[in-house]
Amino acid sequence: MNFRIALIITFFSLPFAVLGQNNRLQIDYADNLYKNGRSFEAITEYKRLLFFDSSYTIKYKINYNIADCYKTGGKFDEAIKYFSIAGANTSNDEELFNAKVQIIRSNILRKTTDRALLLCDELDKDSRFKYMTDKTNYWRGWAYMFADDWKNASRMFDKISNNHELKKLAEQTDRAKVSVTFAKVISYILPGAGSIYSGKVLSGFMSLGWNALSGYWTINSFNAGRIFDGIVVGELVWLRFYRGGIQNAGEFAIEKNLEIANKTLLFLQNEYTGIKP
Amino acid sequence: MTLPSIIHLIHRKLNYKPVLFLFIQMLKSIYRKNNLPVMLIIVYILAVTSFSRAQQSKDYKPPVTVKKQNSTVKDTNVVKQQDLFLPPNRLKFGNYLFSGNDYLRAAAEYKEYLKNYDNDTVRLKYALCFFRIGRFPEAADNFKSLFFGSFLSEEARLLFYESHFFCDDYGIFRDLIEKTNYLPLVYRKEVERLNSATFFLDNSFLPDTTNLFKPFDDSVHSKLADFYYRKKHTERKNLTTAVLLSTVIPGAGKIYTGEIGDGITSLIATVVSAYLAVSNFQNDHKFRGWLFSGLTAFFYAGNIYGSAVSAQIYNARIRFNLQSEIKLFFEQRNYFLPGIGY
Repeated sequence: MNFRIALIITFFSLPFAVLGQNNRLQIDYADNLYKNGRSFEAITEYKRLLFFDSSYTIKYKINYNIADCYKTGGKFDEAIKYFSIAGANTSNDEELFNAKVQIIRSNILRKTTDRALLLCDELDKDSRFKYMTDKTNYWRGWAYMFADDWKNASRMFDKISNNHELKKLAEQTDRAKVSVTFAKVISYILPGAGSIYSGKVLSGFMSLGWNALSGYWTINSFNAGRIFDGIVVGELVWLRFYRGGIQNAGEFAIEKNLEIANKTLLFLQNEYTGIKP
Repeated sequence: MTLPSIIHLIHRKLNYKPVLFLFIQMLKSIYRKNNLPVMLIIVYILAVTSFSRAQQSKDYKPPVTVKKQNSTVKDTNVVKQQDLFLPPNRLKFGNYLFSGNDYLRAAAEYKEYLKNYDNDTVRLKYALCFFRIGRFPEAADNFKSLFFGSFLSEEARLLFYESHFFCDDYGIFRDLIEKTNYLPLVYRKEVERLNSATFFLDNSFLPDTTNLFKPFDDSVHSKLADFYYRKKHTERKNLTTAVLLSTVIPGAGKIYTGEIGDGITSLIATVVSAYLAVSNFQNDHKFRGWLFSGLTAFFYAGNIYGSAVSAQIYNARIRFNLQSEIKLFFEQRNYFLPGIGY
């Protein structure tokens, strides 16, 4: 009797085993597409698998790979959606952490750095990931870099290691940047100085020259008793160059900072060998 | 329900017919208390069949050729998975993708399905996929294939016109209206409304209101009349008038185009610099006299040029605002189109 029951069970399970084999092959097929960078087709095959077998036990991996394909294609909203689904189907803490980190990385790439930082804070508060602080700080540092906050980025990498490569890079970038306020203030004191400070030497000296000339005309008019002339030249010519110089100094400083930040980001994109978002 | 019938049901659900026959035979043998060797032989056949079925590698669909780093790699895991790639399953999967707004993938599934079966609903949905992702010319071509002999002909005809309408080439749309054998009977009024809308949305000559407003309900006639009037008699500023005014009185052209602040500033700047030029010449300050003369000429010429530009900007703004308002009006009402849901 027991033998018969065993046989019945065996035959019951045979079709399921074959179906499982079919799924395995479908996964292999989708994985192959995924590994070869054919993201569009890989997503289709993973989705097909999910649709026809909702009970599949490795939902985490499939959703994770779908999300990664979307991320590769620059569709960060979709990527975050599928990483979140992957996160909800994890079997251990490590998988959950990976999914959450991927959401943070997608947010960094999407330039929603505030959200990325918020998610880093949530990870820090979670007791399951208390030994993962370095990793969280690493991505927090990246989020700050993308948010153009190099000082805080350097602080985060410093928490990981005093000699962290990215810490030095962030510090270097922060030091290279110029102060917009300082550029404006020195332009108030000496017209053109802010432009020179921001690296626009010719523009700075031209501003200084125009201010000196128009200032001379204004003062000369007052000295000669031509008050109306003095007021008009002062208002229309001198003040125009004086205010323009201050405005230019601020704009040049912002432009220079942007150049510096872009240069660093370009280095990170093309030459940095560590893990990137 | 007996045990064999349950097993039979399961196998039918699993669509695994070759195994089913052997399995039923096996079940019978168990029930008839046959001897063990027979059962073992059947087990063996079943196992071999299942294994070989799963390992079929030569006729896998779809065949995959993967290019990687300048080299072509043939996909090694090529195994036919009949269940997943059967046309009915492709249709189910396509519908799932369609409902999830993943139209590009849904179109690919429908296309594969249509290679095996001809189904008007699927053809319409296939065309709708292109329509929804904004590939209107492809959508129009596919809708056209349903024009004759299909129970969805009316919907397809309407969607065909919609596709051409959303291509934003209203000239072609109006040409197509002339082809009366394309026009739907049920949705004729909708197409006529779209046709009327094209005259509001582009800069072509406006026909008379009787025909233009006819397809619309009375409730929107007053709004359409307002658009019609504003479009036909747009309050434009004349470029020549603006230039002439600025030539006579600096800044007047700008005031004429509604930029009062700029006009007054222009007037003051020109007058003051002219006064300074005269004053400096009178006081024998020739350099400053010439300097302010140059400045006056610059302000004067700039004021004339500025007035011309201002008139052009004014006209463009009026036109743009009116077009935006008209577009918003039609968009908010979905161009008076019915919702065709599939």
